[in-house]
Amino acid sequence: MNPAGPPILAGVGLRRTYGLGSIHVPALQGVDIEIRRGDFLVLQGPSGSGKTTLINVLGLLDPPDGGRVLVDGRAVGGMDEGALADLRRDRIGFVFQTFNLIPVLTAAENVSYPMVLKGLPAAEIRRRTVDLLARVGLGARSEARPDLLSGGERQRVALARAIANEPDVILADEPTGSLDSETASGVLDLMRALNDGGRTAFVIATHDPRVVARARRAVTLRDGRVVEEA
Amino acid sequence: MSLWRLALRNLSRNRRRSVLTGGVVVLGFAAFALAGGFMAQSLEGLREGTIRSGMGHLQFAEPAAFGAGATGSLEHGLAGADRIEAALRGHREVAEVLPRIDFVGLASNGARTIPFLGVGLDPEPEARTMDHPKTLSAGRWLADREERGVVLGNGLAESLALGLGEVVTLLATTTDGTLNAVDAEVVGLASLPMKEIDDRYLASSLGLASDLLAARGRVSRVVVVLRDTREAGPALERLQATLRAAGFDLRGKTWEELAQFYRQVRLLYVGIFGFLGVVLVVVVILASANTMLMAAAERTREIGTLRALGTRPGFIRRLFIAEGVVLAVLGCAAGALLSLAVRYVLNHSGIMLPPPPGATQGTPLHIKLYGVAYASGAVAMIGTMVLASWLPARRASRASIVEALAHV
Repeated sequence: MNPAGPPILAGVGLRRTYGLGSIHVPALQGVDIEIRRGDFLVLQGPSGSGKTTLINVLGLLDPPDGGRVLVDGRAVGGMDEGALADLRRDRIGFVFQTFNLIPVLTAAENVSYPMVLKGLPAAEIRRRTVDLLARVGLGARSEARPDLLSGGERQRVALARAIANEPDVILADEPTGSLDSETASGVLDLMRALNDGGRTAFVIATHDPRVVARARRAVTLRDGRVVEEA
Repeated sequence: MSLWRLALRNLSRNRRRSVLTGGVVVLGFAAFALAGGFMAQSLEGLREGTIRSGMGHLQFAEPAAFGAGATGSLEHGLAGADRIEAALRGHREVAEVLPRIDFVGLASNGARTIPFLGVGLDPEPEARTMDHPKTLSAGRWLADREERGVVLGNGLAESLALGLGEVVTLLATTTDGTLNAVDAEVVGLASLPMKEIDDRYLASSLGLASDLLAARGRVSRVVVVLRDTREAGPALERLQATLRAAGFDLRGKTWEELAQFYRQVRLLYVGIFGFLGVVLVVVVILASANTMLMAAAERTREIGTLRALGTRPGFIRRLFIAEGVVLAVLGCAAGALLSLAVRYVLNHSGIMLPPPPGATQGTPLHIKLYGVAYASGAVAMIGTMVLASWLPARRASRASIVEALAHV
C-alpha cells in the first residue's frame, strides 16, 4: 500500500533543546515532516542526529520547544496530559529497542493492555488478542511471561501490542537494535506485512541498513536537521 | 487486567520486599489490636471495679445531696426509702436496690478517739452485688440489716488498737442535733486501696447507723445495681420518671458522672495509647515509604512505557496507592491472625498484673477481643499505607515519559 491522503501525523518547524548542566544541546532545529497513511518511513542518521528525539516529539511523549505537532491536521499543543495520553492510546503505537514489555503480565496480557485502557469489551479484547498473537506467530506462547520469551518473540509481542488499538501510526525506535540479524529480518518482515496489509503507517528510527533497505521513504537527519529525503 | 490485579502482580514481583513491608503492617496492626484490647480490658476492669466498689450503676438522692459542700450524711436524707425501693424494683433492668446511710463520727476504744467515715448498709444484698466482702482481710462481713457489728478499715483498727470481737464506741450527731453513742462489735477488718480511706473506713448495718443517727427510716441515698452496665444512661431516665410518678422528686446520677477517678484514668489511658498509636503510624510510614519509593524507582522505565501506551497519570497514581492498600489489607489480615494467637497465649499464660489504679489485688493478664481496636488498626494501617504510597505515586505519575523510558 502506497502512502496517500492528507498527513495523519506531522511536525512543523520542530525544535527541541536539552540542557546538560550549563550546556544546551539542540536536538531538533526546525524539522518539518509529514506521515501519511500507509507510510513506511525510516529516520536515519548518525547517533545524536535527533532521530529518537523526533520519534518522542511526534509520539507526543515530549513536547517540542518550538514548532507544532499536528494529528489529522489538528495541533496538539496546549492539550493536557490526559488528552495526550488518550491520543497516544488510540492513534499511535510504540515499539522500543528494548521491547519494554510489562514483566508481570503475560504475552496475551501485554497485548491486551492498550485495549483494556481503551475500554473495549472483554470478549472483544480476548478475540483480538488471540488474533494479534496469531498474526505475529505467537499463538502458542500467549501465557508466557516476557522473561520466558526470546528477544525476537518479545519484539513480536511488542508489535502486536503496538497495533492492538489499530493506530494510524507506529513509531519504532531502533526496533532491531537488540536482535540478531535473522530475528531482525523476521521482525522487519512482520512490520512490512502489517504495513502492507493495513492502514497503519510505520516510522522507524534506525542505524540498521537492512531496515533502510526495506523503507519506502527515508529521511536523513544530521545535527537535528533534515538533510535528505528520499 | 484490573487495577487491583495489576497491583497484586506488582507486589508479587519482589516477594521478599513485599513480605518485609507487609511484616511492618502485620506488626503495626497486631500492636494496635493487642494494645487496644489491653486498654479496653483494663478500662472495663476499672469500670466494673468502680461500680462494684460500692458506687453501683445509678444513685438517687435529694438534689441538694449532690450539691457542692454536701456531706452525704442525713442532712438531705430521703424519707420513704421503702417505697422508693419498691418503685425501683419494678423495673426489669434493676438487679438490686441498696439503701445507704453515709455518716461521720468519732470511734473510741475508751482510751483513744478517732474520726471515721461510715456507711450504713444492707449487708446481704451488698455482699451479693458489691465487692465489700472481697476487701476483708480478717473476720467476716456483716450478717444482716440489724446487726450490731462493724467492719473497720485496717488503718482505723490499728489506730484504735482494736481487733476482732472487741467493742468500739461510735459517737455521732443525730438528725436533730444531739450527740449519740452506740457500742458495736468489730466483726471484720477490711483492706482499702487508698490509705486515707483505710484509716477512716467503717461499715455498719443500716439498723446500727439508723439508731446512731436517729434516722427514723431515712437514708442518705439509694444505690441501684443494673443487670447491664450499658443500660445506665437510658435506665436513669426511666427510673427517674418512675420515681417522679411515685411522688419523689429525686436527682439521679450515673456511675460515670460520679466516678471522677475513672474518667481521669480513662483520659490518661486514651492519651497514652493515642500517643503510642501516633508513634506506631509514623514508624510504619517511615519504614514502608522507603520501600515503596525503592519499588517505584526500580519501575521507572516500566512506568514510562505504561504512560507511552496511553495510561493516564491518574491511573499510575491509583496503581501505586492500590499496591499500598493491597499490602495493608493483607497485612491487617495476617496481623489479625497474629494478634489472636498472641492474645490466646497471653490469656493462658497466667501472668499476673500489679493492682490497677484504685484496686488492692493484682489481676491476671487478659487481652480483650476488642472489635474497635481491630477496626481502628485496619483504618490506621490502610491510611498509613495510602500515605506511604502517595509520594512514590505522585513522583511516578509526574515524571517525564522520555526520561522514564531512558532510565537504566
